[in-house]
Amino acid sequence: MNTTAHDRLGIVGIAKSFGPVQAVKTVSFGVKAGSVHALVGENGAGKSTLVKIVTGMQRPDSGRILLDGKACGFETPLDARQRGITAVYQDPKLFPHLDVAENIFMGFHPRTRLLTVDRKRMYDDAARRLGELGVDIDPRSLLAGRSVAEIQFVEIVRAMCADLKLLILDEPTASLTPSEADRLFAVVHSLKKRGVSIIFISHRLEEIGRIADEVTVMRDGEHIVTAPAAEMSEAAMVRYMVGRELKSLFVERSSKPAGAPVLEVKGLGLPGVFEDVSFTVRAGEIVGLAGLVGAGRTEIAEAIFGVRPPASGTVAIDGAVVVPKSPAQMLREGIAYIPENRDDNGLVVELGIASNICLPVLGRLGAAGLISHASETRFAAPFAEDFEIKAPSLDSAVASLSGGNRQKVVLAKWLATEPKILILDEPTHGIDVGTKSQVHQRISDLVSAGYPILLISSDLPEILGMCDRILVVAHGRIVAEFARDEATQEKIMTAASRIRTTEEVSADGN
Amino acid sequence: MGTNNEISLLSRLNTGLSRNTLRLRVISVLLSLIAVVAVFSFTTQNFLTLQNLKIIAFNASLLTIVACAEAIVVITRNLDVSVGSIIGLAGFAAAKFAAANQHSGLAIVAVAVAIGLVLGLLNGLAVAYGRVPSIVATLGTLAIFRGVTFIIGRGIEVPSGNLPRWMIKGADATVLGLPVVVLLAVAVVAVLAFLLRSVPIFRRVYAVGSNPGAAVFYGLRANRVVLFAFAVCGALVGFASFLYISRVGTITVNLGRDWEMMALAAVVLGGVSTTGGSGNIVGVFFGALILSSIDNGLVLAHAPEFWRRFIQGFAIVGAITLDAGIERRIQALFRHKKG
Repeated sequence: MNTTAHDRLGIVGIAKSFGPVQAVKTVSFGVKAGSVHALVGENGAGKSTLVKIVTGMQRPDSGRILLDGKACGFETPLDARQRGITAVYQDPKLFPHLDVAENIFMGFHPRTRLLTVDRKRMYDDAARRLGELGVDIDPRSLLAGRSVAEIQFVEIVRAMCADLKLLILDEPTASLTPSEADRLFAVVHSLKKRGVSIIFISHRLEEIGRIADEVTVMRDGEHIVTAPAAEMSEAAMVRYMVGRELKSLFVERSSKPAGAPVLEVKGLGLPGVFEDVSFTVRAGEIVGLAGLVGAGRTEIAEAIFGVRPPASGTVAIDGAVVVPKSPAQMLREGIAYIPENRDDNGLVVELGIASNICLPVLGRLGAAGLISHASETRFAAPFAEDFEIKAPSLDSAVASLSGGNRQKVVLAKWLATEPKILILDEPTHGIDVGTKSQVHQRISDLVSAGYPILLISSDLPEILGMCDRILVVAHGRIVAEFARDEATQEKIMTAASRIRTTEEVSADGN
Repeated sequence: MGTNNEISLLSRLNTGLSRNTLRLRVISVLLSLIAVVAVFSFTTQNFLTLQNLKIIAFNASLLTIVACAEAIVVITRNLDVSVGSIIGLAGFAAAKFAAANQHSGLAIVAVAVAIGLVLGLLNGLAVAYGRVPSIVATLGTLAIFRGVTFIIGRGIEVPSGNLPRWMIKGADATVLGLPVVVLLAVAVVAVLAFLLRSVPIFRRVYAVGSNPGAAVFYGLRANRVVLFAFAVCGALVGFASFLYISRVGTITVNLGRDWEMMALAAVVLGGVSTTGGSGNIVGVFFGALILSSIDNGLVLAHAPEFWRRFIQGFAIVGAITLDAGIERRIQALFRHKKG
């Protein structure tokens, strides 16, 4: 598919290599004015490189970018921004210490005649612009403390200050609650009505059907197809993305009867965060914690693991009661908690794969307290093989791996501790479809091997596909429990977004 | 907001929290000043006398200017530990110039400021364009600038008697009963406070310190902003060095030694975050007042000299520890909230 003169954005024969790796191989397609154009593909398909080229962060090796039919080569992101192209990334590119209005206007403050910052106009303008998007945020409030969704809106409003022609949203809904995502989609609609084109990158295929007009699929740096969204089913998208038909997104799970209880949580509470949380996880069973972002699921897991010790309640492991006080203690007790943010909490990205896998077990590894490189490699090799970690060698820095392979390293690392229980927090967040099913397969293997698993996920199909039992958390309480065969997306969502009673709301002081 | 169930209760609480923690930080500076004054008022005889308060203000004024200069660099998430050596080189060179040109008038000020500016630019170039971590770069220039001072000094001092008379007189001059030096320091605080709040380039100083990664996307040339901050710092320290030489009896090549320590202590006591992005000049002013009060009080209490150093070091570590806690909170609020 080629571009036409009517397109808002024309990508014409763009190619880009990093050393021997061809990240983008002569890609051409067009984005129509006032349309939402979904860009999908597995991690490593070349989407981010393409976005970086369009926004002027990187120069292409060959090819041209056309804006409204005119060739333009952006030198910097600012250059692109001034010409009307802006990208909103997953990690906010904003200033947490400054207030909302200043985040919008930084770099082009409204000025008085004396060339000083015109604060009154700045706050008024910010309030007006936020209002136009239907977003209720106090422009004088500090950015730190706003929710992820609000921070995105601030970025979008900032983008609109320049004459916005093309907005690129990179996985905008990854950290949003469903209702926040709805708000974002409403904003996208209002932008579209103003004639702004939107490139929408997402791993959540069901969203694409909802808001996209057109879909472009990339795979291995190549442009595979561009077609109207209405003509492209989710199954077709997945097929184009992986180049093969996936029978099912989820592995078949034989439901064996669960074994003895391994983890028993009783009356766990932490004032203001969660209360009266009780549940049991048995050997060979996956228990899911579903709920909206902010419901308190991660906090519950962190309490069990001792990251934030609970104020009340107990945890029993194999029948032995312990009060979680620190992660070191809970590790000894046999709990492995794999946090959501792999890079921040789970990996030392500068170190090699083997070193990362060995980190939690260094004490056992060395001879006379000294650890040799060879002993690390020897220890890590079977894990790396088992998990099919794709890398040139076990010494390759984790930083050089793709998201999916990093996740495998994290899993391998924690399994090396020979835990009794695994707690997985959003194990497939931001991972492409192909790797995702590998991770699912791995989890399913672990359960078959008898590991009890507590799985936290915002991905409802994942929860439904993987878990034997599902606990729904809302406002820091477990509000519902479903067995595998009785759970549906609707039931879980209804329980998770249960409107609180007036009493509960007023008890919170608002 | 009540019906807005999208905005979780948690995030609403947090908004209040982050504002209040910052406000609390400012209040804590004031409270520590009051505490220091209270302690010395009871433990020494002459602390709370008009005469002594004048002395404190006089001593605090130089420190205030140097600390304000340092603060601008610290807000960009950098450090300048060479300010003491800048005072030394700019001050000593200006003193030699003044002694050789008795009728040069305000050209002496210009010499001090210009040398400070050049030295600041050198620091800034090394940090912003040479990509040397600022603490390392300025630790190097701390030695280099001091070394150059030794070379041009050749071990010879400049007695204050050799300076033009107007400089000596000016140091003791008062306007409406207030020492000129104090008024100048207050003016520097007022002007800088205004600039940092209301002039776009100074707002960028905060932005770059708050999130250097984001600055690129905003088209803020972070290296230019950092260079600018170091340059302003150097020029201001140069100006301070002029005030300094008109006050001390004999200008030696050791002029300004250990001032980086005092300046940094005043900056962090004043609530400027060493991780960048926040802090205000009025806080720094109070930080300088606290340190000068302690210095003065210790003298009145006949405490041994080493206590000064001890307290400066303690203030730095203590204040930074406190700020690290606040910063963790801010970053936590800024991160993706998860459930």
